[in-house]
Amino acid sequence: MTLFSKPSGRVVIATLLFLWALALPFAACAAPVDPDQVFKNASDIMAQGDLSAAVAELQKIPKPAKGEDGEAYARSRMQIARLEFSLGEMEKASAAAKDVLALYPDNSEAKNFAASVAAARQPGYVTFFKDCLRFLPSLLKGAVTTLLLVVGTMLISPLGGLLIALGRISAFRPVSALCWFVIWFFRGTPLLLQLFFIYYGLPSLGITLPPATAAIIGLGLNYSAYLGEIIRGGIQSIDHGQMEAAKAIGMTYRQAMRRVIIPQTYKRLMPPIGNEFIALIKDTALVSTIAMVELMRSADQLFNTYFNVTALVLAALVYLAFTTLFTFIFQRIEYRAGIYEHR
Amino acid sequence: MRGFMNTDRQPLIELQGIVKRFKSLTAVNGVSLSVYPGEKLVIIGPSGSGKSTLLRSINFLEEIDEGTVRFEGHEVGYHRRHGKLHLDKQSVICPLRAEIGMVFQHFHLFPHMTVLGNVMEGPLTVQKKPAAEARQIALDMLAKVGLSDKQDVYPATLSGGQKQRVAIARALAMRPKLMLFDEPTSALDPELVGEVFDTIHTLADEGMTMIIVTHHMGFARELADRVMFMEKGDFIAQGTPQEFFDNQGGNERIKSFLSRLI
Ligand SMILES: Nc1ncnc2c1ncn2[C@@H]1O[C@H](COP(=O)(O)OP(=O)(O)OP(=O)(O)O)[C@@H](O)[C@H]1O
Ligand SMILES: [Mg+2]
Repeated sequence: MTLFSKPSGRVVIATLLFLWALALPFAACAAPVDPDQVFKNASDIMAQGDLSAAVAELQKIPKPAKGEDGEAYARSRMQIARLEFSLGEMEKASAAAKDVLALYPDNSEAKNFAASVAAARQPGYVTFFKDCLRFLPSLLKGAVTTLLLVVGTMLISPLGGLLIALGRISAFRPVSALCWFVIWFFRGTPLLLQLFFIYYGLPSLGITLPPATAAIIGLGLNYSAYLGEIIRGGIQSIDHGQMEAAKAIGMTYRQAMRRVIIPQTYKRLMPPIGNEFIALIKDTALVSTIAMVELMRSADQLFNTYFNVTALVLAALVYLAFTTLFTFIFQRIEYRAGIYEHR
Repeated sequence: MRGFMNTDRQPLIELQGIVKRFKSLTAVNGVSLSVYPGEKLVIIGPSGSGKSTLLRSINFLEEIDEGTVRFEGHEVGYHRRHGKLHLDKQSVICPLRAEIGMVFQHFHLFPHMTVLGNVMEGPLTVQKKPAAEARQIALDMLAKVGLSDKQDVYPATLSGGQKQRVAIARALAMRPKLMLFDEPTSALDPELVGEVFDTIHTLADEGMTMIIVTHHMGFARELADRVMFMEKGDFIAQGTPQEFFDNQGGNERIKSFLSRLI
């Protein structure tokens, strides 16, 4: 009996029941209704915030008999329709609008209302597809920017990485120390910080870069450092005998690297580099912080404008499409690069 | 000794007092050696005695600590700085290496190139010959080692014996004056050893100068003009195959080494 354990609760319920009982005879015998009074009552009730009660009040206006004026009735049903719509009662809202249309088939207010009720009652996927069509143009624009950043970094960083790797294993100490430093710095600090430094920090040194340039430089340096370590590992994993054999036929170090050692690293390097590039696709989202409008930024803008999660879902799908596509491409390249190992 | 020790002929390669140390370990300890054009020298000796290190020093793959290397009468390959020997720069060393072919125990073929590509590589990249000419040289060398039909396959598909013959063809394509073989058959299944020996025999018959490290005494006996026994970084005995294998130079160490092998 916990529900009624409080005396105050019991008193409230009893009072409500009593009031309801008192009201019954009035409702039953209110034969001729004054529409103006009803509208007034209803708007008072609405002002108190009880929409359902307002609907009940408005319902007191009866359907007109043949030849009678239906004006008040139509007005009341339109109000009911709107109230039910606000309450989320789509069935009742459209029923009320239909009552009006039954009397006045050309009432444009009722017609528009019926249309918007129908739109609101569309299944979720229809709304989703409509949102998609609405958001896709600006998302795709952002996606193109993301793709350009990704491809640009994919072209720059293997070359930068190779230079850093060769520098690291160089016997010339200053070069290897410099390359060590580059790797140490760019792997050891957040990419976000590097981007901020390049875009917001360099201007204080008198170097102002457009966002796209800053983004490409930041991503390119960061990924060159990562790939540098990977490529160095790849080069050093090649059997020492290969360098000896190359030297034995008279090759210089450079010739041996270019013709013998580096080509053998391609297959081994594809999986770890592919991994890095998948991370890159997602890391490009960070450049949205330096005023680049790419996929993440576009999705964010749409979300903030429409408060519609569909924009974020779409962005996720586009990222997934990119990572899937590139994973597939990398697998093909890995297979091709290792074709000489097939027996 | 078939007249190769004649002093009126200039040695193709002449080593004097070669010392090579790895930290505290002295792998080669004062070796002197002259090899004459056309001579076939076989080096035998126990594991770790420094045979590979000596061969690699001849090809400048190791930087020696002491000694001199003469090639065709000229002292080559090193300069002295702060009292220490240093290998000359690549522009000096690489052409020298190109004149000396080397065949390794584990072949070290370039796996990403076809058989033809492997053999062409030296003429093409090092000697900068036109592709058609390099290709023709490579085809000739492959014919010589009996592998013309394999020119377009990758090394991964070859047997060990075939790989080693390709490696020999690759070295020969540079037209070397001296061939070094470091245990060319040690990594091979016994039934594949013969084909590699036959290839080396063919070369020997053509008059190629060669230094061979091997553990196959029958082969050494057949091929060698001179056999040298190495132990602890230096030669402790040498002779013609007959002298060597018949009385083992009267040396107990050699006797016990040979008896363990045969
Ligand atoms: N790069 C190196 N670093 C350190 N020690 C080495 C190196 N190369 C060879 N050695 C050592 O030098 C010694 C001679 O080695 P080497 O390979 O020349 O012997 P080997 O006569 O060819 O032996 P095997 O018959 O086993 O091939 C060995 O003790 C070896 O461990
Ligand atoms: Mg050895």
